[in-house]
This record gives sequence, structure tokens and C-alpha cells, in this order.
Amino acid sequence: MKKRINDRSLRSIVQRLLKDKYTFTALTILSILYLSIAFAGFIAPYSKEFSDRHLSYAPPSKVFTITPEGKLSWPYTYNYKRTFNPNTFKMDFKLDRSQRYYLKFFSKGDDYKLFGFIPCDIHLFSVDSKNGRLFLLGTDINGRDNFSRLLYGGQISLTIGFIALFISFPIGLLYGGISGYAGGKVDNAMMRLTEAIMSIPSFYLLISLAAILPANMTSSQRFTLITVILAFIGWAGFSRVVRGMVLSIKKQEYVDAAKAIGAHPLRIIAKHILPQTASYVIVAITLSVPGYILAESGLSFLGLGIQQPDASWGNMLKEAQEYINVINRPWLLIPGGLIFIAVLSFNLIGDAVRDILDPKSKLN
Amino acid sequence: MKGKYKSFLKIGLISLLAAFSLKACLVADIPESNITTEKNNENNSFEIASAKSVRPFKNIEINGVDYIQARGKIGKFGGTLYTSTIGEGPKTFNPWNAKDATSSTMGELMFDGLVATDPYTGEVVPQLAKSIKVLPSNKEYIITLRKGIKWSDGKPITAKDVVFTWNDIIIAGYGNTSMLDSIMVNGKPPKVEFIDDYTVRFITPEPFAPFLRILGQSIAPKHILEPVVKKGKKEFASFWGVSTPPKNFVTSGKFKLKWYIPAQRVEFVKNPDYYVVDKKDQKLPYLDNYIMYIVGDLNNQVLKFEAGDIDILGVRGSNVARFKELEKNSDYKMYNLGPNTGTAFATFNMNRKKDENGKYYVNPVKQKWFNDINFRKAVDYAIDRENMVSNVLHGVGAPLFTAESYSSMYLNHKLKKGHPKNIDKAKELLAKSGFKWNKSGKLLDKDNNKVEFNLYTNAGNTEREAVGVMLKQDLEELGMQVNFKPIEFNVLVGKLNNSLDWDTIIIALTGSSLEPHGGKNVWTSTGALHLFDQRKEKDLKNIADIREWEKELDYLFNLGAKTLDIDKRREIYDRYQEIVYNQAPMVYLYSSLRIFAIRKKFGNINPTKLGGMMHNLEEIYLKE
Repeated sequence: MKKRINDRSLRSIVQRLLKDKYTFTALTILSILYLSIAFAGFIAPYSKEFSDRHLSYAPPSKVFTITPEGKLSWPYTYNYKRTFNPNTFKMDFKLDRSQRYYLKFFSKGDDYKLFGFIPCDIHLFSVDSKNGRLFLLGTDINGRDNFSRLLYGGQISLTIGFIALFISFPIGLLYGGISGYAGGKVDNAMMRLTEAIMSIPSFYLLISLAAILPANMTSSQRFTLITVILAFIGWAGFSRVVRGMVLSIKKQEYVDAAKAIGAHPLRIIAKHILPQTASYVIVAITLSVPGYILAESGLSFLGLGIQQPDASWGNMLKEAQEYINVINRPWLLIPGGLIFIAVLSFNLIGDAVRDILDPKSKLN
Repeated sequence: MKGKYKSFLKIGLISLLAAFSLKACLVADIPESNITTEKNNENNSFEIASAKSVRPFKNIEINGVDYIQARGKIGKFGGTLYTSTIGEGPKTFNPWNAKDATSSTMGELMFDGLVATDPYTGEVVPQLAKSIKVLPSNKEYIITLRKGIKWSDGKPITAKDVVFTWNDIIIAGYGNTSMLDSIMVNGKPPKVEFIDDYTVRFITPEPFAPFLRILGQSIAPKHILEPVVKKGKKEFASFWGVSTPPKNFVTSGKFKLKWYIPAQRVEFVKNPDYYVVDKKDQKLPYLDNYIMYIVGDLNNQVLKFEAGDIDILGVRGSNVARFKELEKNSDYKMYNLGPNTGTAFATFNMNRKKDENGKYYVNPVKQKWFNDINFRKAVDYAIDRENMVSNVLHGVGAPLFTAESYSSMYLNHKLKKGHPKNIDKAKELLAKSGFKWNKSGKLLDKDNNKVEFNLYTNAGNTEREAVGVMLKQDLEELGMQVNFKPIEFNVLVGKLNNSLDWDTIIIALTGSSLEPHGGKNVWTSTGALHLFDQRKEKDLKNIADIREWEKELDYLFNLGAKTLDIDKRREIYDRYQEIVYNQAPMVYLYSSLRIFAIRKKFGNINPTKLGGMMHNLEEIYLKE
């Protein structure tokens, strides 16, 4: 009985996940996203601070492989040149065809730290001159490369969920476990507390908290604090389900056996009861990650989360708030698309994992 | 058999995919021809408002009533003009109570003042007054009122109303008391005397140059407001609020409230007894209705204009280029009124005082930097204003170097060009004060402290956040470590007014293009908005830490208020801008342009830089 989870070993779960083509696609997309942000410094041609002021809101660079003469060529790009007409206030970007910049792969560029600690200066791709600009997805208002910032922003947006999980799930598991195992008055009191926490309107709480956070915090401190806040209001619903499961599990014979041997209640909860909830926990984890991603994006979009000059998908999307930008500069919408794709993928995987681990809850 | 088809299908799909990706990799470089784009630029510039020579207003008498004759073309009667305001809408219709811009605008639409500003020349011209005489002492003003003009309930407008407005409302401290603050000369209010039904005398304790324009304050109907004033300030503060039935208003302006639907729109109907006539002696205004929509934000406003719901729109940022492009095939025309009165700037906290607990507001190390003129000037020289304007304002603005905005009549023309970004000069200035750079290029002060400070601005404002990012980069070129932190607006205001624990801030103020004396609260050492060295009430009792140039600014503002001669005043205010420019307690960044789009169906649209789009609202008419 205790080995239930091991019977359906991890390998068979993964195999079944890969069989489903939607889940397979979602897994592939997420792996690509997470690999990209892990190697952000390497893939991004520029740092997140790099800016070319003369190219604010420049459109994506064009990469050519066939020269005007019709010959096949090593990929090259041109710089954009901004012209401003003071009569019409029109800002135009034209290719400056006087100088070609050829693409280079695995070449030296700005210094960065791979995984945050390995000093490195090799970039996946760049152009062959310091004056050349390769903005694959255009630039933002400050002339910063959107592609690079998307990668660096993803480091925040895609990890915030997991960091929050590391706080909220242990709390939820332990709290639910104790409550369910103890039962009676303790259970009653503990569950009323979770109800109180669940009834806190989380987004408004976050907005008001963001407003009163001390202003002299760095963006990373702020990021951590927001994560912690998100986590501390996120565990309540989860702990209630755990408690419900524990109520039924504690009546099993092996729990009685453990009691008879004289095991400490906490040991019984941690060793014998909680492992039985694993299938539910895995499902809950995959399904709650997107919630945290969306919460971060929402807060940053409102200007209360990650703030300039740091990047996150939410605060990058803020530039698309002005509707004129949606018309003229559609590349500013890409962070929104990425949020959508990431959240959708997590939900697809979460659904599939639930179907595999918990066939009873499957609809139809 | 089935499997065979399937594998064929797979091969087919894969080869198709390969073909597509190959196609995507092969991008032909075909130069576009340049002919099309150049052509469009002809005849496409803005109508730029300029002070055309217009004859002055003329007073004419018809049937014993003193009218003003308008200066525009003769138009047609009828029609409605739809406009909009961003925000929550008016909080009151009582102009003596109004504390926000929207409420004041509504109040001033309904209640005229004794004088107004000529939108073409900037001179003070009579409105409810028929003539103004300033006696040679420069302290006495004799105002003669128009005969025969009436309140909307038919009662005549007389000197009793003027004396009541000034003595019993403004000087008695009713409503918004900032009006009272602005008329105090050496702590004393002016005297207002009733001479006869159509003559009033104002006496200021000393010559006070801004006073003439202050006479533009709306005049109240005594017969309605006297009983209210008797009931006390509380009663007055709620009188003529947003819930008052429109029929209860007794007004003197061009338009009168017809209907107010909270958070949706304010409707005004024309005043048939208004005292302005056209060249054919027909009573103005031409328009029957003037309707103002209350919209949530800028995007909403733009969409409403595009949908045809509103007739006039202030166009901003990158919308300007788009609207200009669409103008040719549209029913609107665009006007450029030049830079507005707003001034965006970065300022340093030069405060050297301690708070109640004996702690310095600003870290003493930072105090030294901010109080170092070379440090401030170095920052000034490091800023790339040109690119701020082209990136953040999309070119719809101008770099700013002076404390007075471009639109100001008192702009110091010698300083307005300023200086370009000059990093070498900035570094030279820093070196002069003993700053040095370490091996990694970071700036250290004389005592080897790393130069690192916070830069705040209000969060949620894309424009200001982008400016902050640029400023941070500019200063990092000098080796300064700038922690840029957008914070919530209320928190920011709290820091500026109360806790005073900030290093540098980017913010903007609006001024006046006509009267520089309004800058008093910012530039005099005791001012309520003396941002760069805010003195709290307890500090005001004993100002010990006043700087030499602050003393000079105090002196200049005091002198400027007493000087009536315009050329002498100009010298005084030129000097004040010079001090600010040289000392750089506030480093000015940019002003944006005022660009409007208005439907072509309206006649008599004569925008001016000083008066804006709607200065002659009574003359504007619907062509068809």
C-alpha cells in the first residue's frame, strides 16, 4: 500500500505524458522556454541594460541571405536609421544600406554571468561590428533590445511561480496534515483560519502591499518579497484539500500500526500520511504555477511589481498599454504572447498529469 | 496499406516544413525606392498659432447696455460643441471653492471676472469691467463696470457684487484660500471700496504687479450668496456643488449649467443675456450647447474623438504623427500651439537640516554632493535632453533649460538654447570639486565615498519611467551609481512634503505663461513648494541655513511683484532664471508641445499660444 506511488514509477508517468501529443507539445515549449532563460546571457545578444538611444521603438532587424544582386550570402543585416520630420512629427526607420553587418555565431561580446556565477562573454549570435545592431524583436522606448529583455524578463516571470511554491506547499502540506490528523477542535480552529486567509482578496492585498513596501528596496528584494507575499496567501486552499485527504488516510490500518508502535504524530504525518497525497500535490503544483506567473505579470503591468530598469514580461507588456503602440509597434505585444503560451502549457500539462495520477477525477 | 499512406503523408509534411523554413532563411535584400516617401511632405506642416495683429476689443453701447464687440467673423447661430475632460469630472461648480483644474474651468465658464487676458497680446483687457484705471501711485485701481449687463436671473451686475465677492468671500477666507494667499502683499490684503453702483476702487498696500491679472477672479452674485455666506464657511463650501439642480445657478458667463450626469458628462447651455456681440450687433455666443464628456484616460479620449463623439482633442506623443497622417482625408484640422507651461525637471535634495529626532533628512555624505554646485552642474551637463524629447515625447516637445517655460512671456531668451550634452565638461566640473574615479570607473568623492544615490519618480507613468532610465544611464557615464526607483505617486508626494528622505526626484510642475510670480512658492526660501530645500513650519521660525543665491531669489521675487514696468520686470525675472540656471538646484529637462485636433465644421477657430484653442468660445460657430 505504501508503495502505491512507486508502482506507477516516474518513468511510466513521463512515458504516458509524452504519448499525448498536446502534452508533448506543451512540454517541448516549456523546455525551450526554460532552457532559453537558463542560458539567457548566452542567447541574448545584448545585456538587459544595453540601449541605443537613437533607435527607440525601432522595428525588428531584417536579416538577409540574398544580396540585391541576387547572390546567396552569409546572413547579414543593416542598421536602422531614424529620421524625424518636425512638420509631421513622423518618426521613420529606414535601413541604412551603406554598411552590411554579417552575423557571427559563438563570438565574443558583452560580459555576463552564466547561471549567475560563471563569468562568460561568448554569445550565441551577434553582428561583426560594434556599430552593428541586431534587434531581432525590435526595441522598446529606451532603445533596448526586446529579444534580450524577453529572455532576462523570463528569468523573473517564469521562476516566480516555483519560488512561491517552495514556500506555500510545505506550509500547506504540514498545516493540512496536522489539522486532519488532529481532528476535533484543533481541526475546527485551524480550518477557520484557512477560511479567513482564503477570503483575503489577494490581488487587492498585493496592490496595497506593493504601495507600502519600503521604497529603498532593490528590485530583487522586491521580487523576493512579492513572491513571499504571494506564497503566504496561496497555501490556504491547498491545505484544505490536504486535510480532507488526511482525514480518510488516517483511518488506514498502517497508520494504526504506526500508532501502535508508538511513533510520534509528526512522524506519522510526515512519513506515512503525507506521501499518500503525492499525486494530488504534483497536480496542484503544475496547476498553480500559471497562477503565480499571471499574478506577477499583472502586478508588474500595473507598475507595482518588477520595475524599470529591470525586465519582466509584465512590465514589458505595459508599453503596449497605449493603443497607438499596438497599432504601430506590434512587437511590444510579444511578452503577452509568451505569458499566454507559458500559462497554457502549464495548464495542459497539469491536466494531463491529473488524468494519469488520479484517474477517478477524470471527466467523461 | 494504411500505414504506407501515413508515412507518405509524414514525408510530405516534413518536406513541406523544410521548404518553408528554407524559404524563411532566404530573405532577399531588395532596396525600396525612395520616391514615394519624399512626395508626401509638401504642404503638410501644421497650422502654427501666432499672434496675428487683431484690433483690440471694442466697447459699444446699444440701448444703454455696454457690450463688448467680438473680433472674429460673423457666424451662424445654433449647434453644439462636444469636448472632454480626463478624470473624475468636476467636484464643484462653485469657482470660489474649486481646488482642481476641471472644477475651476467649469466655474470660470459660468462666472466671468472683471478682466481677462487678451489671447493675442497677453495684455489685461476689460471683461465685466468697462475700463480699468491704474492711478500713478500704482497702488490704486479704479474699475468702472458695464452698465445694463445682467445676471442670468435678470438682476443687474453692479459694484455691490464686486465688493461682496472680494470683501466677503475672498478676503474673508471663504472657499479655496489659495486665492487669498496670492493677493496678500506683505501679509496684508487689498482694500476694496464701493464708490457708486458702477465704480469700485481697489487699493493694494504696496504696488503689486500681479494684481491686475488677479482681478480676473470670477465675480459672485451678492443677492444669492449673501445669505449663504452668513451661514458660515461650511455652508459656503457645499453651496453650488455637483448635486445642485441646474436651475438654481445664477451666472454671468457665456454658458450656464444645463445638466450634470456624474462620471458621464456636463452639459452647458448658452446664456442669452451675455454681454458680447458680433460685428452685426447680434448677441453671442453662437453655440447653443457646450457639452463636456468625462473620460477615464487618454486612450479613451482618443477613441472617442475617432468615433466622432467629441470635436476637439489634445493630441500627445506618437498619436500626433498618426493623426497628422490621417488629417488629409479627415474632417479635422491640427494646430500646434507650441510648448506648454509644464516643466519636467530633476531636483536634488539640498536639505541640511535635522528632523524632530535629531537625524539628518539627507545623509551628510550625500548632502555634500548635492550642495556642491559643480556636482549639480555636472549632472546638468551629462543629460541628453535631445534624445529624451525624441524617444519619450516622440519629438512632440522641446528640451528645456530655464525655470520659466517656453510659453512664458518672461522667458530668458539668452538661456533658452542652453547647452548640449557634454560629458567631458561634466567630468571636468566633478574633478574641480575633488571627485575622482576608481579603477572600475566608479565615481568617488574627496573622502573616497562611492557616489551612489536614489532617483525617484512616480510609478505607472511610462513617460517618466523612461526618462528615469535615460537619466540613470547618463549619470552612469559619469561613474555615478544611480538606483532608479519608480514609487507610488502619493508616497512620492509624502517624501517631498513630509518625510523629506529622498535624494533626487524627477517630477513636473505647471506654470503660467503670463505671470512668473506664481513661481514664488517654489523659489522663495519660505515657499510651500521649495522642493530642493523644503523648510517645514518649525524651520521657518529661524532660517539659518539660507544660501546667498536663495537670498537673491527672495529679493528678486519680492521686487518683481512690486515692479509694474514690464521691461524692468523682465530684467528681474531674467536674473532669477540666470541664478537657477547657474546654480542648478533643479535641472530642467523638457516641455511637451500642445497639439490639438479640431473638427473643420467649426468657424472662428483662432488658436493662440497664450489663449489656447477655446479662448473665443462665444465666437465659435458651427458652419453647417
